[in-house]
Amino acid sequence: MSNVSRKIVLPGDLLSTNPKAAGYGTYVENGKVYAKTLGLLDKSNTGVRVIPLKGRYIPSVGDVVVGIVREVTANGWIVDIHSPYQAFLPLQENPESKPGRKINEILDLGDAIIAKVLNIDPKMKVTLTMKDRVCRAIRFGRIVAINPARVPRVIGKKGSMIKLLKSELGIQIIVGQNGLIWLSGDRRKVSIAEEAIYIIEEEAHTEGLTDRITEFIKKRKGEIEDERGSGNP
Amino acid sequence: MSDEILMDIKKDYVLSKLRDGERIDGRKFDEYRKIEIETGIISKAEGSALVKIGNTQVVVGVKMQPGEPFPDAPDKGIIITNAELVPLASPTFEPGPPDENAIELARVVDRGIRESEAVDLSKLCIEEGSKVWLIFIDIHALDDDGNLMDASALAAIAALLNTTVPAERFEVGEDFPLPVRDLPVAVTSLIVNNNILVDPCRDEVSVGENFMTITTDQDDNIVAMQKSGSYLLSEEKFYELIDISIAKAREIRELLKDV
Amino acid sequence: MNEEAEILKRVGEKPQLIIDGKRLDGRDFEELRPIKIEAGVLKRADGSCYLEMGKNKVVAAVYGPREVHPRHLQDPSKAIIRYRYNMAPFSVEERKRPGPDRRSIEISKVSREALEPIIMKELFPRSGIDIFVEVLQADAGTRTACLNAASVALVDAGIAMKGIVTAVAVAKVDGHLVLDPMKDEDNYGEADLPFAFVIRNGKIESISLLQMDGRMTADEVKKALEMAKRGAMEIYKLQREAVMRKYQGEEVE
Repeated sequence: MSNVSRKIVLPGDLLSTNPKAAGYGTYVENGKVYAKTLGLLDKSNTGVRVIPLKGRYIPSVGDVVVGIVREVTANGWIVDIHSPYQAFLPLQENPESKPGRKINEILDLGDAIIAKVLNIDPKMKVTLTMKDRVCRAIRFGRIVAINPARVPRVIGKKGSMIKLLKSELGIQIIVGQNGLIWLSGDRRKVSIAEEAIYIIEEEAHTEGLTDRITEFIKKRKGEIEDERGSGNP
Repeated sequence: MSDEILMDIKKDYVLSKLRDGERIDGRKFDEYRKIEIETGIISKAEGSALVKIGNTQVVVGVKMQPGEPFPDAPDKGIIITNAELVPLASPTFEPGPPDENAIELARVVDRGIRESEAVDLSKLCIEEGSKVWLIFIDIHALDDDGNLMDASALAAIAALLNTTVPAERFEVGEDFPLPVRDLPVAVTSLIVNNNILVDPCRDEVSVGENFMTITTDQDDNIVAMQKSGSYLLSEEKFYELIDISIAKAREIRELLKDV
Repeated sequence: MNEEAEILKRVGEKPQLIIDGKRLDGRDFEELRPIKIEAGVLKRADGSCYLEMGKNKVVAAVYGPREVHPRHLQDPSKAIIRYRYNMAPFSVEERKRPGPDRRSIEISKVSREALEPIIMKELFPRSGIDIFVEVLQADAGTRTACLNAASVALVDAGIAMKGIVTAVAVAKVDGHLVLDPMKDEDNYGEADLPFAFVIRNGKIESISLLQMDGRMTADEVKKALEMAKRGAMEIYKLQREAVMRKYQGEEVE
């Protein structure tokens, strides 16, 4: 794995004079491509893009999100997805909806769900669906919140980091694009996973981060075993 | 609204850790976060202090000017305490005049200073019956990560310790250090399911805004108390709170001695 | 400082502001006061900045994009930008009553108007972006110091913008143009001109804040503009450095 140095860019920095190269996080004006936000510059053969370092979560169609029900209405649920934009889950987009079942018995105020962004209209009204394998109501486990801009980092290249956490700890992990992550499994292992996630969020993709996380997890697991061995509850 | 969801998540976490007898940041139940006190940061003010408790930050500035005494105290200086919970400090603070929280905070800080007689107001008379020194204690919140109350109270007394009476500027004599003769310290705790958590951080407050603040002077006398929040307090817990507050105030008072 | 000037001020007379080609605080005509900028200093805010310019000490915080309350204030096509300039009561020589006064309200308005054109509001319909700046200590040029801090706080918050805004003032003092006036120059000078510029890719592209108080010839105004541009470029470099310092751990892949 090569150590590619990525430059930090600020809004208004000129990135390219080829408008066709304009990718995510950039804007074009008078044939020039500029950075739109604070971020890391990513130049490739296909173009230039800026990977944001900060920012509130703005939903995109297809995103998996973790949300909490804020309001039950006659035809669905208003869901808080930790964004400037509220989301709406229509009755018919929840596979658990059946005629005769009361709406608030399916999902009630305060319930947590994993859903997918189905549609976003020009006014940024967000519609969710739960008709997907990954979607479900969350009845147990923990939710951890991180900076949404760091989600790709936590997932890792081709999901490598998440796979590592899952295999080393034997827990379930679903990462919402909105920076909310659902963890489920043995309480102590979930705790270790949470700590690991904060470390990944903080540290850059420095060479060896994967190894360090593996080490960290092994060490923490060892501590649990010791506690168990010495008869502690 | 977008921060409400974080509060819901944190609430569960705080409660689940409590069941294991732990706090979310690993502190003991009666342990404060790291406290930093810096004085004299606003040179234009007569006295000032910046206090950090963990990530919570408050600036207090002391301004003084001559003014008319109250008719029933013609030879005593006057203390006026105000708190601005400016919107910069928290997503939940709105611009506008002080709301009930800002007013409560200012009044509790004020009570601690006043009732401990930390400032000898009789030394602040310029001309009996017509001119005395007015002391404005202005609390300015910068970052609310929980327990603005204790940070404000600490910054207020630190700022007073740092204050020079500007007699020369008003041509009423020579400048002199403000006489501070006591060190009131406020200790705030969060009451959760019969547990007392001293110096609650914001995430812990997500469980409920049920606080108790007890301010003591350097002789361990109680000079101010405030139960804040819609909850019911048992006598037993109350006595526990008194003991804890006296003990913690003693520790924090040590920090003021270096100021 | 200059003793003669202090005595003249005390008796209400205008002091001489330029002595032997130097300003009262020893600066050259085009010399900025010392500047210190730190990005990301607050935990609760989405973006923040602490800035010192001479004796000015200001803190800026940005929240957003976030939901707008009450609902009827939402704009279905773009984000609403709010800028609130506020002075702490202890920030000035004579204690200032807390709360907005007419001056703060005017400064808030023109400052908002200096930042709005570069914020990509259409990307965030129905939401709000709030910029709050607190002056902890004031010494002439608070509005420009605050704008500079707000600009860095906006970058730190990850807000989508076309460029960066940098502000600086020029004053006319004893017949000379000086950059970044301090208090006495501001109070006793013949004119005061705060500017803010939009800077993109290291070049000044347009003016986003422009005010003047006093009397000058058109020619003097043009010279003041050129002087302000030069000063702004220096400040811009410091704004960039502050952001880089905050995020430099991120650079290695």
